[in-house]
Amino acid sequence: MNFDWLSAYLIFGLFTVVMVIGLALLLHLQMGLVGIPNFGIVGFWGLGMYVFGVMLVKIDWPWAAPWPFLLSLVAGTVAAGVGGLVVGRAIAHTGTDGVLVGTLGFATIIALLATTERDLTGGAYGMGGLEFPYDTGSIKADEGLWLGLVIVVVAVLLWYVSRVHRSPYGRLLIAIGSNELLARSLGKPTARTKLVMFAVGSAAMGFLGALYGVIVHFLTPLELGIGITLATMVSLVVGGSARVWGAVVGAILVEGFFDIVVQIYLPLPASWYQQAMPVVREIVLGATLMIVLLFRPLGVLGDMRRDRLMRSMHGG
Amino acid sequence: MDWVQQSLVIGLTEQAPLILAAMGFALIYRLTGLINVAYSETVTLGAYLGMWVNTTFGLNFYVTLIPAGILSGLLSVATYFALFRPAKRRNVGVVELIIISTGLSIFLRYGLQFVFGYTYRYYEVPPPNTIKVLGVGVSSFRLIALGSVLALALILYWFIQKTNFGIRIRALAGDEKLAEVSGINPLAVTVLIWFIAGVAGGLAGAFYGVGSSVKPWLGWEQFLFILLVVLIGGAKNIRGVLLAGLGTGVLLAALTLKLGNALYSQVALIALFIIILALRGDRSAEAGKV
Repeated sequence: MNFDWLSAYLIFGLFTVVMVIGLALLLHLQMGLVGIPNFGIVGFWGLGMYVFGVMLVKIDWPWAAPWPFLLSLVAGTVAAGVGGLVVGRAIAHTGTDGVLVGTLGFATIIALLATTERDLTGGAYGMGGLEFPYDTGSIKADEGLWLGLVIVVVAVLLWYVSRVHRSPYGRLLIAIGSNELLARSLGKPTARTKLVMFAVGSAAMGFLGALYGVIVHFLTPLELGIGITLATMVSLVVGGSARVWGAVVGAILVEGFFDIVVQIYLPLPASWYQQAMPVVREIVLGATLMIVLLFRPLGVLGDMRRDRLMRSMHGG
Repeated sequence: MDWVQQSLVIGLTEQAPLILAAMGFALIYRLTGLINVAYSETVTLGAYLGMWVNTTFGLNFYVTLIPAGILSGLLSVATYFALFRPAKRRNVGVVELIIISTGLSIFLRYGLQFVFGYTYRYYEVPPPNTIKVLGVGVSSFRLIALGSVLALALILYWFIQKTNFGIRIRALAGDEKLAEVSGINPLAVTVLIWFIAGVAGGLAGAFYGVGSSVKPWLGWEQFLFILLVVLIGGAKNIRGVLLAGLGTGVLLAALTLKLGNALYSQVALIALFIIILALRGDRSAEAGKV
């Protein structure tokens, strides 16, 4: 087979799109179903990435090749999950304002620690040495394989989320999201369900962060800005936060446009990509959030049977 | 003893604008229930507008505060009419409102880079003298800033708690229907709230900007602390915000002196405040509606 069309830029662009689909699916579970607006996605994602990177690079592992990589991956995922558990516990009994402060504060703490712990993370300069766990001899094949891996991971996630929608567990999540007191009065363990779901979702965000760390090879605190959270949130909102396919459609529209079409195919002057394009991108994303939520709050996919049912029941 | 004195002086003088910013944010939050993420850009725009007036017309910094404050207030009212009023009419939910205001925040933060340029900008002010306060050297400028911020904060406090307008504002926050029946014009009062909050945020931004540099993420850097101060102190009334703001400034300075790193003290303070909020639970959320 001929892979000439698959340039290094395109591999990275596709990787970003698929990763944002994954993050948006997780945010769909947290925000779309249970109603926990996670404003600190980048914190969990970044914690997974940095713990994975530090474990892989800084520890002198006594075991042979695949084990350091796999154990670091597990450590990154677990660390993000523990982070989710701690944050989830802290915001369990607060209102939306508490959720905003807790998740945003967590992301800020992670970004600050990535800068201060110079011995571990290289501080503001950054940290290299994250390599693929295999070597096929060609960089392109290595990166292509890694793209294939993330596609498989996100496809499994998509399958799982669509299963959740049709399961009693999914109905419990939706019940908690729409009326937590009612769900509790029916004997459902709402607090525990929320906490476990939030922690597991955060762990998966950390896992995706670790995968991202491998393809960029070099971690800097610049990755821990608002970019990832914003991209995920805009994608989910554009696609529709209540639907399974909303995350997929939104991420393809938003990230596909900016990371693939604009970055690779639009004939823009090279100097624009230095300073102007990243700024334009954020301006458009911010405007998109406002416009979509004001004029089409359910996203491009629109409403679904459940919403129509709810409206007919409540006469809205 | 040195440590206490230094923390007090540094904390109060460096974090004075935080008090003003937090009071403005608390007004909108407590009286309309909206968590306005774009408030951080009101702060940033105040810094930029002050810088623009200051450098374009060569005005004294304290004179530039007047147009900077008024313009920030008007911009704040403009965001209300352009975005938050339509959103409220469409019955947008609480979470969606936060996301909408985040969108506005991002839009303004990056949009103003096209207006004012990508690089840091600076106020043109004469170099300050250093004055010894409790054995700690402080620039005369910071002392005047602290004095002005405290005066403005007290005026704001007096305005909300004692004047006729303040009573109307609080009546509207308590029960909109009842306030309307009693002859209070909700629109006029809401516009007034947004204007005052914008003035407070813009002035805070101008003080932040003149203290260091003017940059697009100036307000966003402070936003988490503004939010923490309001949630910690603002559950009861505006006085709580004032005290929490003062306490935060002193605590940040004290931790920085002890830990030797400003970033560590921020980490510690964020963690501490989140723990306090978690332990306090739902109470702040309920009080937020009153």
